[in-house]
Amino acid sequence: MAEPNPENGPTIVERWLEDQQQWQRTVLAYLDAMTKNDDFLVHLGNAMRGSLLAGKPYPTAPSPAGETSAPAAAPDDRIDKVLFALHQLEGQLADVQLTLEEIRGGRARSAAAPAIALKRARARVKKAAAKTPAARASKARTPSKARKRKGRA
Amino acid sequence: MTAPGQERELEALLALSRRSRAKLDRLREVLTSPGHYGKGATPATVVYRENKLRLLRLQDETGEPFAGPPVLFIPAPVSRFFIIDLLPGRSFAAHIAKAGFDVFIADFGEPGEEDRFSDLEYYVEGLVRRSVRKVLALSGQPKVNLIGYCLGGTLSLLYAALHPDSVARLVLLTTIVDGDVKGGVAWVAHRMGLEGESYDHPRLVPAAEVKSWFEMLAPGSNSQAGRVRDLWDRLGDSPERLRDVRTMASWVDDVVPAPGRLLAEMYQKFGPGRNRLMSGTATVGDRVVDCAAVTMPVLAVSAEKDLIAPPEGVDAIGKLVPHTEVMRLPGGHVGIVAGRSAAALWQRTADFLASTRG
Repeated sequence: MAEPNPENGPTIVERWLEDQQQWQRTVLAYLDAMTKNDDFLVHLGNAMRGSLLAGKPYPTAPSPAGETSAPAAAPDDRIDKVLFALHQLEGQLADVQLTLEEIRGGRARSAAAPAIALKRARARVKKAAAKTPAARASKARTPSKARKRKGRA
Repeated sequence: MTAPGQERELEALLALSRRSRAKLDRLREVLTSPGHYGKGATPATVVYRENKLRLLRLQDETGEPFAGPPVLFIPAPVSRFFIIDLLPGRSFAAHIAKAGFDVFIADFGEPGEEDRFSDLEYYVEGLVRRSVRKVLALSGQPKVNLIGYCLGGTLSLLYAALHPDSVARLVLLTTIVDGDVKGGVAWVAHRMGLEGESYDHPRLVPAAEVKSWFEMLAPGSNSQAGRVRDLWDRLGDSPERLRDVRTMASWVDDVVPAPGRLLAEMYQKFGPGRNRLMSGTATVGDRVVDCAAVTMPVLAVSAEKDLIAPPEGVDAIGKLVPHTEVMRLPGGHVGIVAGRSAAALWQRTADFLASTRG
């Protein structure tokens, strides 16, 4: 047995024993994770397949062709065909809805366009009118006239 | 007392025991911390739903859509969408949004049994076309920028050829157009029985089977022992790095089942020996796909070490659409989009899209 060496710390045997205790802790931590975390076993199973895939089991390999013991009965496609036809209808309805939205958007734009143009034209006319000498004179007169009217009243 | 030789052996064993235990402790830590479950890294709202499709619109910090011209990402329908929005700080979609674009992502979801009847027309003229319509309606723009990844690139190319007026620019990432170029997932699927997939009586091809095609392409990853060894070696990495690995694993290993009719049709039209895109005889439904109609600017990106979509098969777009800017980047099929060196692709794409403005 290796003798303790106060200068170099614990002996090899002591370190072995300590390592064994650490292993016990590791195993207990794994057991703890298994009981506390429902997904842990799935994740551990994935890791044992060499994958860190999270959240679901690693896809299992398909069975090679010809290994099936009994010939599979032809599946009844009818329900799935109906379901898929419904998905196609869902798409067609979405197309109709998108078209209606486009028409509505186009109308809103075309309705908004003349109104905006009219507003802008009015603003331009008003601005131009304000710049004429007559308008400036009238503007200058307006306050005094108003004052007179106010005085008479 | 132990002999010096024995003590050295014991020391070596002890060191091995400690390393192994440290790896197992790290594995437990990783497995008990929340994983990335494929919800995407950037906040987003669902602006349109149809069947299993969700059209996502990314949001900025204030909860508003990003300002700018619209961009629609079309990922492959046989994989999860979140590879283009993987992690905060490692998201292609977020990079494009922050470059000044209103970003939308088509999440095709996981097909159900009834979706085995979905064909190319259902995807291109249905899900993709309506997604584009919705994007245009929401953004108020007449055209959208399309970014298609892998099989999503094929759908984007077909859509752009059939509806060129609604596409401002087209980006095709690792999208095979020449099915006669050997290698890649189409050839593997061909060898593993895709040729026998029935258009008239389709099945929902199980996720594990789709995954097995991809696994055949990656040496080492097709054996369980090889994968376990890889993971064991990686457990020496930092917890942050392992979290990244876990996020990526949650994408790579979580393949979705595929509609058999879609695969059968794509194989019959674009697969090895058919190659109808290159011969100009491809159709979607009753409509002939005329690639001469693809007059908008096109950027096609291939990856040097792509085992899924061989770069020569991707670069062949230059023969179909001569004005295409073809770019080959170092890296693999997934690495160029979401790997540590993916920023080169993100920035090049942002620059390409930005040059449409003005």
